[in-house]
Amino acid sequence: MGPVPRTLELFYDVLSPYSWLGFEILCRYQNIWNINLQLRPSFIGGIMKDSGNKAPALIPRKAQYMANDIKVLRQHVQVPIQFPKDFFSVILEKGSLSAMRFLTAVNLEHPEMLENVSRELWMRIWSRDEDITQPQSILAAAEKAGMSAEQAQGLLEKSSTSKVKNQLKETTDAACRYGAFGLPITVAHVDGQTHMVFGSDRMELLAYLLGEKWMGPVPPAVNARL
Amino acid sequence: MGPVPRTLELFYDVLSPYSWLGFEILCRYQNIWNINLQLRPSFIGGIMKDSGNKAPALIPRKAQYMANDIKVLRQHVQVPIQFPKDFFSVILEKGSLSAMRFLTAVNLEHPEMLENVSRELWMRIWSRAAEKAGMSAEQAQGLLEKSSTSKVKNQLKETTDAACRYGAFGLPITVAHVDGQTHMVFGSDRMELLAYLLGPTLATSTPKNSVQSLSFFSSRREVDGPCPPSRECQTLRLPGGSKLLVFSVALGAVSLPPTPKDSRKRSTISHVATCTSMTHKCLSESPSSALPQNKSNAIRQNLSRSLSVLVLLVCSFLVSYPAHCRGS
Repeated sequence: MGPVPRTLELFYDVLSPYSWLGFEILCRYQNIWNINLQLRPSFIGGIMKDSGNKAPALIPRKAQYMANDIKVLRQHVQVPIQFPKDFFSVILEKGSLSAMRFLTAVNLEHPEMLENVSRELWMRIWSRDEDITQPQSILAAAEKAGMSAEQAQGLLEKSSTSKVKNQLKETTDAACRYGAFGLPITVAHVDGQTHMVFGSDRMELLAYLLGEKWMGPVPPAVNARL
Repeated sequence: MGPVPRTLELFYDVLSPYSWLGFEILCRYQNIWNINLQLRPSFIGGIMKDSGNKAPALIPRKAQYMANDIKVLRQHVQVPIQFPKDFFSVILEKGSLSAMRFLTAVNLEHPEMLENVSRELWMRIWSRAAEKAGMSAEQAQGLLEKSSTSKVKNQLKETTDAACRYGAFGLPITVAHVDGQTHMVFGSDRMELLAYLLGPTLATSTPKNSVQSLSFFSSRREVDGPCPPSRECQTLRLPGGSKLLVFSVALGAVSLPPTPKDSRKRSTISHVATCTSMTHKCLSESPSSALPQNKSNAIRQNLSRSLSVLVLLVCSFLVSYPAHCRGS
């Protein structure tokens, strides 16, 4: 047939706004570039701890910059992303462990739903300023993504098993081994080499590494492939 | 005439590799976009201190990432950037205060030279390519003396403070003044976003595969990546067939340890201003260089003399002045 699609691993956490932007951009390109996009739900708290890094929002000017940056990127990337009202509480206190465990369970049992459920969780926290830590919140996101209540409930229960907890830990460790100090990271496997890029603003560089054409964060849809 | 050019202020420090990349990209676009690029030499140590931020290289994985990132960006942005051998000593110990004061003095007295001299300093720290001058020994010496006056010190402080007021927590930052609004972008990897902010020119319909609830316009200013097609010869390209442009070569520079591969450095302490034919050609064609005719003639004259050693002087003071480490 054609050349073998290159594997791209996207390590992300729904707590991370830039992860959402990177995710949407890559989802758009997965039907344009010759790639095989593998979503890797990870835990950003674990990555920060392991790398010795800190959430950027802890530096006041970085928090300020992010707030404005997200506003601009909303338009530029065309994602309805919006800062939660009580940003610090949402990001720095409540966190994302349950949500990422849930997505890990989804990935183990129903990987074809992972993209949609991830998106619905982001829509909750980073668009509608809704909770993602309570069981009802997670179930609501899953159902909005098209899962039945029973399926969602089953996965929620699986989330607290060692199998799922360990899988999340392993994925997070894998990101760390690739050198992550934050999220999102995209790992491209190209011609026997591995390239890791950090951030959602490195997609043009990623295109360069893949030898693919970059058409901005909102490429024209290729109808034939949808 | 046409619409008024939009002012872009680029705040940078030669200690910052990403500042160099942002600088080169914007220098390429200054003759393509309708902008007025204002270079603002700043002191990254002051910005770190004022913002409570720390050099990224202090986190081991960030240092590792940067090392690799710079390698890739070298090819992608086509700038001969390379990590110094003793990275930590150069960046974290030696610092850049004297160099940035020097550039501040250049900006006050010979602003038309600021771009070239800045580039030379970056080449010195962040590349192992040949160094050059472009300035007479007298000029360089005079500016060096001015660097330690209060006037220059205060100017650097003011520029750095201005960056802080724009919200800088690092460098480079680019501040775009568009339609009465001010936009600050951080980093060299936001140039596409900057293009977007400078004004949408195309509107296309919302793509079908985007998130459902959206109804935004898609608008994109034309961006050709970090290496737009241009007749502008001042840009650097990697050697090997393309346009590594070398001005006059004054290879003194003994104050920094010579790199083993660069044997040319040793051979010419004293001077030799040579211009490659490409240099002459480019200067004479220099399409949109903003230099008025008499100044560009003066520069050509300087170039063709035997020159001493802007670089030597600069390197001397980089070594001999106690460096102010970046605060944390």
